[in-house]
Amino acid sequence: MSPVTLSFAADTANVALARTVAAAMAARADLPIDQLEDVRLAVDEAVSQLIADAPDGAVVSCTFEAAGLNLRIVLSAPSASGRTPPRDTFGWTVLSALVDDVGAEVSDGVVTLDLRIARSVTVQA
Amino acid sequence: MSDPPATSRWGPAHRARERLLLAELAALTAGDPRRAPVRDELVTMHLPLVWHLAGRYRDRGEPWEDLVQVGTVGLIKAVDRFDMDRGVEFSTYATPTILGEIKRNFRDRSWALKVPRRLQELQSRVSAQAEVLTAALGRAPTVRELAVAIDVQESDILDALEARHAYAADSLDASPPGDDSGGTVAASIGAEDPAFLAVEDREVLRPLLAALPDRERSIVMLRFFERKTQSQIAEHLGISQMHVSRLLARTLAGLRAGLEPAR
Repeated sequence: MSPVTLSFAADTANVALARTVAAAMAARADLPIDQLEDVRLAVDEAVSQLIADAPDGAVVSCTFEAAGLNLRIVLSAPSASGRTPPRDTFGWTVLSALVDDVGAEVSDGVVTLDLRIARSVTVQA
Repeated sequence: MSDPPATSRWGPAHRARERLLLAELAALTAGDPRRAPVRDELVTMHLPLVWHLAGRYRDRGEPWEDLVQVGTVGLIKAVDRFDMDRGVEFSTYATPTILGEIKRNFRDRSWALKVPRRLQELQSRVSAQAEVLTAALGRAPTVRELAVAIDVQESDILDALEARHAYAADSLDASPPGDDSGGTVAASIGAEDPAFLAVEDREVLRPLLAALPDRERSIVMLRFFERKTQSQIAEHLGISQMHVSRLLARTLAGLRAGLEPAR
């Protein structure tokens, strides 16, 4: 299935949009609803972290891709600090607990968070 | 008694005064008439904190006076429940309580009205069906499975799942983070949880977690520090997974809001 991309102004009012798309994509990936809720929370947290460090007028972009048993969500936004989110915060603890793997990198002042979620159960197609 | 520093800058003199008043309040028993003026001054001197926090919600269509009013209710609760022995700054303690009241105002008054009846009804059917399927499958169902079982579109299931975060939940959930019924917070404060040590910003997090009602705190600890799934937590606590999800989402929102000012 082809990826879905969502871009929006780095404003907390838009976090709900990202959450909604995340839930829809988790449903497409046939995740059980408890995992779907985790994905929703993870995207909420990731987007909140990006927005917290985004300069005025920045745009957050999120790409959602469901492939087989996996859902990958790549989120990026310009960063005022030029750094990836600190890993010693509660927010990061939450984020890394909600998904199977989370990567973070910064390149040319843009922070990218890469979330990977594997379906935890066998679902009959 | 000097005039409260309602709008002036917060300096060492204010901090000293705050400590004095908090100590005074702690020494007075609940029914003592001398409590009222001390409590009033503490509330008045922290109103700028309410204004600051209410300011974040200024552009969401609620009258400013209402935001300040509900925020002040939170502040009063914080004054009444504060325990100096915890070694936490009063403002750190009060922030999640104030935000909790402001958010509850949105949830009870604004959001509740916006969820259509059709969706509320669908939501309860989805919850009931999710229980049935969880029991049958031994895991949480997918959106597709729910849609087939209830005979509606998958998008309807998604709407229903989202709606449960928006509308005022049943009375079991009535206590938002920081607003619990009487003794529970008192009983929980002072409880040491080894998992707290796993978090670097625990100095900020600790009072926030400590201020949560028992069940909410358990859910957060089980989910993030013991890495249990929502379904496992649900089984452990004897409530539904959807209930866990709702409590978790709300608790996290409260914790995040409480952590922000410290950044």
